[in-house]
Amino acid sequence: MFDRLHTIWTLLEGQRLRYAGALLSLIVASMLLYAVPIVPQVVLDAVLTDDVREGSLPERVGLWALGGRAFLAENLWVAALAVIGLTTLAAIATYFRGRWVAIAAESVVCRLRDRLHNHLNQLPCRWYDQAETGDILQRCTSDVDTLRNFLAMQVIEIGRAIAMMIIPLPIMLLMDVRMTLASVVVLPLIIGSAVYFFGRVKSVFREKDEAEGRLTACVNENLTGIRVVRAFARQEFECDKFQERNDEHRRLDYRLYAILSWFWSASDELCFLQKALVFILGGYWVAVGTLEIGTYYFFIAAVSMYVWPVRMMGRLLAELGKAIVAVDRIHEILDSPVEQVTGVLSPPSVQHPGLIEFHDVDFAHGETPVVHNMNFRINAGSTLAIVGPSGSGKSTLINLLLRFYDTDAGTIVVDGVDIKSLDRQEHRRRMAVVMQDPFLYSRSIHDNIALSRRTASDEEVHVATRVACIHDSILEFEEGYETVVGERGLTLSGGQRQRVAIARALLQQPDILVLDDALSAVDTRTERFILEAMRDRHGRQTTIVIAHRLSTLTAADDIIVLDEGRIIQQGTHESLVTEEGMYRRLWDIQTTIESTEEGAA
Amino acid sequence: MSQSPFIQEEEYAGGKFNWGLWRRILRHARPHRIWFWTMVCSGLVLAGVETMLPISNAWLIDEAVAGRTDAAFMWYAALYVILVTIFSALVWLFIRAAGHLSTAVAYDLRAKGFGRLQELPFSFYDTRPTGWLVSRLTSDCTKISSLLPWFLLDLSWGSSFLVGISIAMFILDWQLALWVLVIVPPLSLVSWYFQRKLLRSSRLVRRTNSIITGVYNEGLMGVRTTRALSREEESLAEFQVQSGDLKRYTIRNSLQSAVYLPCIISLGAVGVGMALWKGGLQLQEGSSLSLGDLIAFMQFAVLFSMPIQEIAARITDLQAAQAAAERIQSLIDTVPEIRDTPDVVEAIRRAPAGGPEDGGRSDITTIEFKHVDFWYKPAEPVLLDFNMRVEEGQTIALVGATGGGKTTIASLAARFYEPKRGDILLDGVEYRHRSLHWYQSQLGVVLQTPHLFSGTIRDNIRYGRLDATDLDVERAATMVNAHQFIQGHDGGYEAEVGEGGIRLSVGQRQLIALARAVLADPQIFIMDEATSSVDTETEQLIQAAIDTVLKGRIAFVIAHRLSTIRAANVILVIDDGRIVEQGTHSELLSAKGHYWRLYTRQEAEEAEASLGS
Repeated sequence: MFDRLHTIWTLLEGQRLRYAGALLSLIVASMLLYAVPIVPQVVLDAVLTDDVREGSLPERVGLWALGGRAFLAENLWVAALAVIGLTTLAAIATYFRGRWVAIAAESVVCRLRDRLHNHLNQLPCRWYDQAETGDILQRCTSDVDTLRNFLAMQVIEIGRAIAMMIIPLPIMLLMDVRMTLASVVVLPLIIGSAVYFFGRVKSVFREKDEAEGRLTACVNENLTGIRVVRAFARQEFECDKFQERNDEHRRLDYRLYAILSWFWSASDELCFLQKALVFILGGYWVAVGTLEIGTYYFFIAAVSMYVWPVRMMGRLLAELGKAIVAVDRIHEILDSPVEQVTGVLSPPSVQHPGLIEFHDVDFAHGETPVVHNMNFRINAGSTLAIVGPSGSGKSTLINLLLRFYDTDAGTIVVDGVDIKSLDRQEHRRRMAVVMQDPFLYSRSIHDNIALSRRTASDEEVHVATRVACIHDSILEFEEGYETVVGERGLTLSGGQRQRVAIARALLQQPDILVLDDALSAVDTRTERFILEAMRDRHGRQTTIVIAHRLSTLTAADDIIVLDEGRIIQQGTHESLVTEEGMYRRLWDIQTTIESTEEGAA
Repeated sequence: MSQSPFIQEEEYAGGKFNWGLWRRILRHARPHRIWFWTMVCSGLVLAGVETMLPISNAWLIDEAVAGRTDAAFMWYAALYVILVTIFSALVWLFIRAAGHLSTAVAYDLRAKGFGRLQELPFSFYDTRPTGWLVSRLTSDCTKISSLLPWFLLDLSWGSSFLVGISIAMFILDWQLALWVLVIVPPLSLVSWYFQRKLLRSSRLVRRTNSIITGVYNEGLMGVRTTRALSREEESLAEFQVQSGDLKRYTIRNSLQSAVYLPCIISLGAVGVGMALWKGGLQLQEGSSLSLGDLIAFMQFAVLFSMPIQEIAARITDLQAAQAAAERIQSLIDTVPEIRDTPDVVEAIRRAPAGGPEDGGRSDITTIEFKHVDFWYKPAEPVLLDFNMRVEEGQTIALVGATGGGKTTIASLAARFYEPKRGDILLDGVEYRHRSLHWYQSQLGVVLQTPHLFSGTIRDNIRYGRLDATDLDVERAATMVNAHQFIQGHDGGYEAEVGEGGIRLSVGQRQLIALARAVLADPQIFIMDEATSSVDTETEQLIQAAIDTVLKGRIAFVIAHRLSTIRAANVILVIDDGRIVEQGTHSELLSAKGHYWRLYTRQEAEEAEASLGS
């Protein structure tokens, strides 16, 4: 608990003065607010009744400040002015409290958001492998919001309740000890019951959240699979399934409201009983003549001022745990170590095709070995094709080359330098990768392509899109190159996305180009066209191609065949088809269909 | 194809209060009108109780000032306790009522919305992302339904409390009442002014907040792309623009509240001051006003701002939720374009038990497209005067370039869309004269990207026929060569496939989708052959499975594989919404036209087992 509060304290760095200022304004405002009912008290006692008693210290000060009994009796407007003036001053202090807290809390939260974003950009890929996108997203949004609520509102509400409860105590004690006791005796019960209650119903709230999650998941799944639902005319079945979730959600909702109705009505009753106690006991003492009417008024006014904030505090105290959990969850991200800087060297040769060597490379995902003792070399400017069944380690080789992961053993050397000693970003800048399911940012198509080379002219972008056979499709969109794609825009088909990504890679004019099954959703004619265009760049860039369709790989300078993380065959297409082995087998399967067709045709 | 206006998260009808819309929303509360009136009545009674509290205070104070602790004193004390107990009981009641009303309305809205979504045509889904639709049924419904009861309560409580206080004050002393009421116009004005400002700034906050969530999401989805492009710094800089905006807007919003509340407090103090000054003067002059009355006036002056604040806040809430209300209401109001005609509904009602639900013929032996025109946008027709006839046992392969209309033909055949002009006939009967549910139950559709539901493999196959036995399920799996891999899979048929089938490979998902379709044993089979690459051996299994599935049915296949195409009875080469060639594989080859060109180009250059896309 204490170290969590310390964590929150460190977050406040740079804004602590504002918080202190807010705290001060809060205290000032509370004091002024309690000074307000002293004015009517003085008027009631000194002017409107013929009470000759001395009065308590606060009352005498008040009377003196208002100009004395005689003056006040002649000029009652002074009292009105005092009430308005004191309240306005309190209001101004309240404004500053709000202002400073808002600026402080938002600055802290803004900095935290930036930190999170920055940190996420630097966490290693291994971290992402075991993390869930939805969960991270929730930590970055709703947990940050919880913390924001805590910093911007709850802290201050709790502070206000405490100030409102403590500040009148000395004044009340000076006025009348019996009445003070009567004014606070129920408070512990109010706070205690709220803390206890909200601690107990946490589980109901959680159950309801979970039911809501299941309901959302149900709708989500139905809508993503809506075509399947229709295809099998399963609407009724789906409605039944949904109704089950909807019923469950409704049941928990009713239950929660039922519980809350008991709490709020009971705590209202408690608060009112606290007021009634002051009111009736005070009335009795006034009647028997041991309490001045003005003092009585003060107590009635004061108890109304603090009883509601105090009740709220009980709830806030019970919910304090939420903020602490949120801080923990956020810090689980921030405390995860970032990708280590292992090298700072710049790549020795840029704007030249890279010479790539894998020396005895081993790599495992956790306990599962993925790549064993991998040795191969890609000459500068040549094309290497990698073939193998799913899970044979093809993409892992690419991830290692890009330094998304570092090798467990062995080295990867590019242009004679171990890539571990290179600056990661500069190393990656030499390469362009197109993946099977490429990612496009939610911005215009033009921007998506030009991301790889900011300085590129429109003409250069168009050259790249023509080579990638996507130029014409883009022009068919209503807004052409300015069409926004991705999450908040137009959804492109898999093949379109692949081609946009290829254009992006081509525009970059990389030293090393990697196509990781990047043409799988592109039709054969287009694929052939793109590959031909790539061939023109032969010698100017080193190319690595991964594909399932062997026919696309026949022109590669070198082919390696992987199985279970090992190279089982290597050679050119011509040599591999004549060799007994997996390549021949795959080739045969793929051409069987062909040959039966020839026979039939 | 353009970006849809519907996906703008924050659309507001200019801030104008749309009474008609809210009246329609209120209509959803009609089945729960007991709770509706409970809320309204609670508000009324509550206002009465709260008006009485300061008055009972005043009576007791006057007793006390007079130095009496007699029966009357006791009675006033008891009255106070009774009043607050009624108050608490009302609190209990209206929280219950609010719970029932909001939960029940949310339940209905969700159920209606969900039911409607099951009926709406795909053209509706084409323009709206799934996530957007999901939030309509979740956050929008919750937002509106939770607002409703509090709006009722605060409106009835607030307005009657204002009236109650005013009447009480006028009865006590009408002149003093006027003095205190001086603060009402400025209070209302200030509340109205600030609520408007708050409404605007909080919209900005929400919009920016959702953008930030989007940016985080994009960062997570594209983490590798960002790294591969080495644009970490750039992406942070872009993020900082957004987070800076959010900070600015939130502070602006908070500062507006920071001004608003002090203004209300100060105005309340003006009321108290007025009561103290003018009331004090009257007391000094020895009028009928009592000390207790004066104290009651001061309490009323403080209380006055509460209902005004609350009413203003609730109206703002409604305005803020107006967009949500519009979206959900318009979803519920959308009439599905494709549904049974009144005649068909009537036929279903009158149909005898057994056989198709509309009483029509139960088997389908031919499908005929007659002079069919179709377009998604009027300016861009996809099909024009399209004619085609398919008979039982025939497989039709649709071949041709992307955008030529192959998918459209399949969708029309499935009645996912209906022709804009022309007819599609089932054994001579226009399919719009048959029951939609019956017809679609006769279909087996396998999509290019197979979608599985979370649940076990068995559940997913059984989706094809809900009453199938375990044995049926396994038989279907065996037919499409999926049995072997399922048994080898960890957990076998009971293995969870994960959301959307994520735990299975694409090839495995395709096999399961095929098994599902086989189990349904449809009369018409519609398939969009997958193009995404799977490894060679799985590919072989899938091809064999497809051959099995197509046998003996009417089948439409958007074909990419030569083996499928070759096995088809008729190949339709589609280009620009027309059949440019038609015939069997060998006929088309000897015709040396489009098909021959497509085919030989591949043969000659690559010996590639794939055609078209």
